[in-house]
Amino acid sequence: MSLRSRSGTLGLTTFFAVAVLPIAASLLYALLYSVGLAGLLAEGFNARHWLVVLGGGEIWSSLALSVWVAAAVVVTSTALGLVLALGFRGALDRGALGMAIYLPLALPGAVAAFFIFQMLTGGGFVARLLLRVGLLSDPSHFPPLVQDRWAVGIILAHTLLAAPFLALLFARLYESERLGELAALSRALGASRRQSLWRVEIPILLHAAGTNLALLFIVVLGSYEIPLLLGRQAPQMLSVLTMRKFSLFDLRQKPEAFVVALVYTGLVMALIAGLFRRGRVDG
Amino acid sequence: MKRDDKDRRDGKDNRGSFPVARILVTCLCVLPLAVLAALSFAGAWPFPDVVPSRWTASRWLDVLAGQGGLAASFGVSVLISASVALLSTVLGFITSKHVAYHPRRRLLLFLAYVPFALSPVILGVCLLYVAIQAGLSGTVGGVILAQTIFAYGFAIVLFQGLWSPRMRAFEDLVRTLGGSTWQLYARVLVPLAREMLLLCFFQTFLISWFQYGLTVLVGGGQVKTLTLKVYDYVGEANVFYAALASCLLIIPPALLLWANKRFLFKAV
Repeated sequence: MSLRSRSGTLGLTTFFAVAVLPIAASLLYALLYSVGLAGLLAEGFNARHWLVVLGGGEIWSSLALSVWVAAAVVVTSTALGLVLALGFRGALDRGALGMAIYLPLALPGAVAAFFIFQMLTGGGFVARLLLRVGLLSDPSHFPPLVQDRWAVGIILAHTLLAAPFLALLFARLYESERLGELAALSRALGASRRQSLWRVEIPILLHAAGTNLALLFIVVLGSYEIPLLLGRQAPQMLSVLTMRKFSLFDLRQKPEAFVVALVYTGLVMALIAGLFRRGRVDG
Repeated sequence: MKRDDKDRRDGKDNRGSFPVARILVTCLCVLPLAVLAALSFAGAWPFPDVVPSRWTASRWLDVLAGQGGLAASFGVSVLISASVALLSTVLGFITSKHVAYHPRRRLLLFLAYVPFALSPVILGVCLLYVAIQAGLSGTVGGVILAQTIFAYGFAIVLFQGLWSPRMRAFEDLVRTLGGSTWQLYARVLVPLAREMLLLCFFQTFLISWFQYGLTVLVGGGQVKTLTLKVYDYVGEANVFYAALASCLLIIPPALLLWANKRFLFKAV
């Protein structure tokens, strides 16, 4: 065996040992647990837990909430990122904004959730400011933006983290895709500023950032720290629901936690496979 | 001057436009750190005051003196994140080459994306059994290994951009000239990949630094990183210490990002 093929075998063995085997073993265990073939309460093969979870409304409302939040975050962050990138392109590289724009990227999800909580509750910073300037007469009149029905707090926290990143990404893509020259060309050919923006610059930026936007959707879909603090008790986002069922003292809930985890895993793997099939992901 | 001319030519120079909006966005970006820093120095901040009624530096002085749990948590967080970053960068650098040159590259890349893209909490729920069986649950080593699985997938994906036909040609040249594997890595591949290695180390450090759900599960609540401390304090309604833990979490990555913005993106 040559040196190269020997090191290749070692490299691939390491890859499978670290990236594939633990995950495959974990998912197999979760599957066996969910059908009654593993765990403390193993009662022999049955699909009871799958039928209970898939037949109940909890997982579907949880899935709907997760998809709503992920889609809303992608749309709002993309819109804000485009406005910032196209509005301040030069300023994103230098000056005070060029420094400050990086600050939200240093926020962990846990900190972003805590910050939004401190800002948007009835006794929070925004309510205090509104009271001070006279726009709010009673803190109880402050609209519920945290642990609310439409998950506004969760969406705002994720947008706070994602929008500056997308703004910087779009600004870099603007340069690498030479959009300044393309926009100038379209204007020379008679396009208006608005046509150049909507028909040339934005479509090219969105296409070039497609993979990042899809990955943002996937990341938000499975987020935990932010909805843990800013979400309601019901429905909960998928990760929070899984963790709640897993952590309950009632051991009969554990197989259901694994069912939710496996449903989520199947969904995300299908999304990644779709990205690969469309050739959007290639390292 | 030359750069300004080029910016104007490319339609890139928007510095003169929307000055109020630029100041507003700058303030909004700084606001989280400003509010959290104010909370961490607040002695009392009763409702409906907009600024604290009393200030104190005692919490920060305690941390700087190494007293209380936060200094220890900071140390544990640095240890875990640096270990995860080092392990996943080294392993990812060496093995990503074999993934990149493999005939079934796309399938292997798909497998690398799975840990990287799945929710850490959901995979943590499934991984916990493996950690318990291996006797790693509730230990710093277990948390490092579990986080490395996630960060390693990211490293594999990141390094795919490195292994071009040009790198392969360099490798062939070194082999043809009689270079050993050690010489190949030490004298050629590592120097050529230096930027990418630093980028990977920084990004995987952040993946670990920001991690919460996986640490809670595999660490069993016994490995107290700073992110866990934030939720502990929030649970105790101790907002001042939660803000202090948050500041400690933000400051290292913020300084690193400011010091070197190139760590954020690979060439797009």
